[in-house]
Amino acid sequence: MKPKKSQMKIQQMAFMLIAVMVFFALVGLLIAAIGFSGLKEKATALQEKNAMLLVSKLANSPEFSCGEDFKSQENCIDFDKVFILKENINKYKTGNKNFWRVSGIEIIKIYPKNSNFIECNSNNYQDCSKITLISGQGISAENFVSLCRKEFDSEKFISYDKCELGKILVKYEKAQ
Amino acid sequence: MLKKGARAKARYLNKTFRLQKRSTPALTLESFKSNSILSKSKRSQLNISFGWLFAIIVGAVILVLAIYGATKVIKTGQSEEQAVGAKEIGILLNPLEIGFESAISTPLSLRIETRIFNNCYPSGNFGKQGIQTSELSFNRWSTPGVESNFENKYIFSKSPYTEGKKFYIFSKPFEFPFKISDLIYLTSEDEKYCFDGAPENIEDEISQLNQANLVLGCAENLDYTKVCFGSGANCDIAVNYNSNYVQKNQDKIYFEEDALMYAAIFSDKEIYECQVERLMKRTKHLLNLYLKKEILVQKNCKSDLGSDLDLFISILENAKDYKVINEVSELVEEIKIKNKYSSCLW
Repeated sequence: MKPKKSQMKIQQMAFMLIAVMVFFALVGLLIAAIGFSGLKEKATALQEKNAMLLVSKLANSPEFSCGEDFKSQENCIDFDKVFILKENINKYKTGNKNFWRVSGIEIIKIYPKNSNFIECNSNNYQDCSKITLISGQGISAENFVSLCRKEFDSEKFISYDKCELGKILVKYEKAQ
Repeated sequence: MLKKGARAKARYLNKTFRLQKRSTPALTLESFKSNSILSKSKRSQLNISFGWLFAIIVGAVILVLAIYGATKVIKTGQSEEQAVGAKEIGILLNPLEIGFESAISTPLSLRIETRIFNNCYPSGNFGKQGIQTSELSFNRWSTPGVESNFENKYIFSKSPYTEGKKFYIFSKPFEFPFKISDLIYLTSEDEKYCFDGAPENIEDEISQLNQANLVLGCAENLDYTKVCFGSGANCDIAVNYNSNYVQKNQDKIYFEEDALMYAAIFSDKEIYECQVERLMKRTKHLLNLYLKKEILVQKNCKSDLGSDLDLFISILENAKDYKVINEVSELVEEIKIKNKYSSCLW
């Protein structure tokens, strides 16, 4: 009888210790889960901050900006240059990441008003209203910009700067 | 029953005593009895049951695992904070894309003493700017956290890191001949520079910056890094403004434009060379854009820049190192003038 009783005690203790370990493991997992959910929120907040700050200054970066060529200098996008950039956007991509590290960049004309947002290509360049540089899903941050390009007046035989009101949208994704 | 047992124990003790007395005649019955009781109590002290032993061992294992887990959690938390910090620094640099304004200085204050690692990678389409941070906790520097990478940023600072609690960041556009990027200069408040004999435009810019660690004149500032323009005694950094090079620790660092001159002053040679190589990569991409733009707008505007842009691209493609900036300086001037008169491309 004696050895059986002691064996029972050891078994009880072993089960107790296993239960303690499982308890600690569960507590650890809970802490880790809470920690990682906070991390995702932080990552999304950083993405949002990046998009907000980027959209306010992206128009001034050399791939977009009007330069001294046009009289309007701050927050002015050279539509001709951006159209060329769209055709060469693959050079600004490495793997699944792009030069600006955002999920999408779009430029749309908002004035003069055009209800159909027609994507620009080489055939409709003069009459289009939207350039999608990087097509991607996500939440967008936007900023008003002037969109300028060179036009030719066939009656007066002179070239002039045509500027319209537009918006630049920078998209970012929520951290999964 | 008890009396019987006690008598048997006494008989056993007497018998054992007699046997012992034969080998040691000096032994008394009292001392023998006390010794035998002591040895028995010692035996009972060591007599730990298996249950206890098992509990102690498993308890110790649980404690070790708990301590290991806690240390891991603390380390993960630390590296998470460092990664977030590095990313935040990178993001905060976005507003420094300043367009056409002149240099602007921004202070960056951190909670604790921090090292900001500036890593530059020249390979790839545009190269990469890496930022890592390490914090001082309990008088020890933590291992640098996860690196944040950016393709569109060019930071010039001391290599491999700059250290402090308060940092100053200022940026300046680099135009070659069109705007390539805004260069970012990162210095700690402990890195102090004094400028001796600087040209008027540089003096104006530094006084406009109003940055506490940059001063004009070195007479009373002995603990400052002395930056001399032209001739000067006891200079730590000598700038030859007319021949476009900076002499620093027996290294000659070549520059074009004031933006790169500041870069050569505030950064180390390795960082400078790598960042200039990256800037030249971006220049090549922008040249391609302008070349195609010239074709697009040729009906509206004649620039006659195509052949020059082509030549510029081919020189950059065959460049051996960053010194290509000196080789193309004349071509850049020519392109700048041509574009100024045509007002077509930038």
